[in-house]
Amino acid sequence: MKKKILVVEDEEGLRLLYEEELEAEGYEVLSARNGREAIQRLEEGKPDLIVLDIVMPVMDGMETLGRIVGKERKIPIILNTSYPGYREDFMSWAADAYVTKSADLTELKDTIKRLLEKKRAR
Amino acid sequence: MKKVLAMVLAGGRGERLYPLTRDRAKPAVPFGAIYRIIDFTLSNCLNSDVRRIYALTQYKSISLHRHIQLGWNILSAPLGEFVEVIPAQQRINEHWYQGTADAIFQNIYTLQQERPDLILILSGDHIYKMDYQKMISFHQEKNADLTVAAIRMDRGLSKEFGVVEVDRDWRIIGFEEKPEEPKTIPGEPEGILASMGVYVFDTEILVRRLIEDARSDSTHDFGRDIIPSMIGRDQVFAFDFRHGDRGGVGYWRDVGTIDAYFEANMDLVSVTPQLNLYDPQWPILTYQSSYPPAKTVLEEEGRMGTAINSIISNGCIISGGSVKRSILSPKVIVHSYAEVEDSILLEGVDIGRHARVRKTIIDKDVQIPAGMKIGYDLDEDAKRFTVTGSGIVVVPRGMRL
Repeated sequence: MKKKILVVEDEEGLRLLYEEELEAEGYEVLSARNGREAIQRLEEGKPDLIVLDIVMPVMDGMETLGRIVGKERKIPIILNTSYPGYREDFMSWAADAYVTKSADLTELKDTIKRLLEKKRAR
Repeated sequence: MKKVLAMVLAGGRGERLYPLTRDRAKPAVPFGAIYRIIDFTLSNCLNSDVRRIYALTQYKSISLHRHIQLGWNILSAPLGEFVEVIPAQQRINEHWYQGTADAIFQNIYTLQQERPDLILILSGDHIYKMDYQKMISFHQEKNADLTVAAIRMDRGLSKEFGVVEVDRDWRIIGFEEKPEEPKTIPGEPEGILASMGVYVFDTEILVRRLIEDARSDSTHDFGRDIIPSMIGRDQVFAFDFRHGDRGGVGYWRDVGTIDAYFEANMDLVSVTPQLNLYDPQWPILTYQSSYPPAKTVLEEEGRMGTAINSIISNGCIISGGSVKRSILSPKVIVHSYAEVEDSILLEGVDIGRHARVRKTIIDKDVQIPAGMKIGYDLDEDAKRFTVTGSGIVVVPRGMRL
């Protein structure tokens, strides 16, 4: 069965890029434009992994991260951001991995693969 | 000096203290005539120069909230000092706090804002006098990530406590909740070290361990989950309560049951109580409404207003009745020919003429009608009131008789 990845990203262009590239890798991709939508998606069906942007309108990534951990604590979460100061934020330490935002998705794809394998091994 | 933030866990339901906890959380239960249980922990903080304090509450918190607002609004906000109540926010999830560790985790955003170097985690349920600064110094000398305050107990009591196992250096090498076969103190085969639920954490380590715990299957409890997960991995030490015990007699009570509550109160009317409330260097602060001083009136044969071996608060009038070995909170009236013995009467209780009360705790604002007897026929009392195994009667707050 295809692994389900929830991508939370407010920028439409990037969101489409992630969808396309991750689908090409064989994943099923769900997407959300902000934290609130992400929480809704979470209620609709459990993804296997979440890629989370930090700076977003409506509900930002840190707030969302807290809510996800409070709800579905076992789903691996990747913080995907270009905002460098996030590690000051205690809640950011709840993420499983950190990837710097880039048009080149190699690092993101590798990280997704690694975390999904680790999760299966667990 | 390191920046210290105290987090007082004040959500205890205190179910075994029912009906005293019917309308209030355990930390708000009155104690020693004019105090609330939480006053001891908060006073320890102030006396230890810890002046940034959050009290975490959840259910039945109105009484506690009011008490802290009225009585503890005494620190200097411009100097960054405060005692503030944080009710459960449900910012992270919709549940009540799942355990002691979860209570702190759910307030991670508060830790974020404060960014202290050290976090002192306390329980609002216990009565003791302790200098937390001594423990903080020990924590720093040992370069510890976590320090757990521990008190010596007889090994026979192990099933009631979290038992700490230490090496000769007081490094914690084991921790078990309520063990049948406890690990004893090195060199003291009859003694155990019981965790007092008082912890000093390095903030960063605390946050990391809380997050790990939040993301795993766990009961989210410091004693059951966090401490065991840190042993052998982080620098975890025990701090001997004797080195921070302000009273010097090893006094620490978890007044968890009505019987324990009764005993701890009654200790205060002895000539030299174990818990010394008179230390000018270690005042126990509280909130008190302003009432006139206590008075005793009438001096007729058989109608003497007397109080012996008792604590009588402001606003009380002993008017031709007798009070022995009892603790009277403010505004208690004892009318003519009434007898009160070995009892705890909370604020606003009124004992009618010829009424007799023995070994009874009467919660706030109860009027005992003239001639009524309580504590003399326990079978009869048990039909209306809570009666404990040792024969203490509890009349709930505001009960109409």
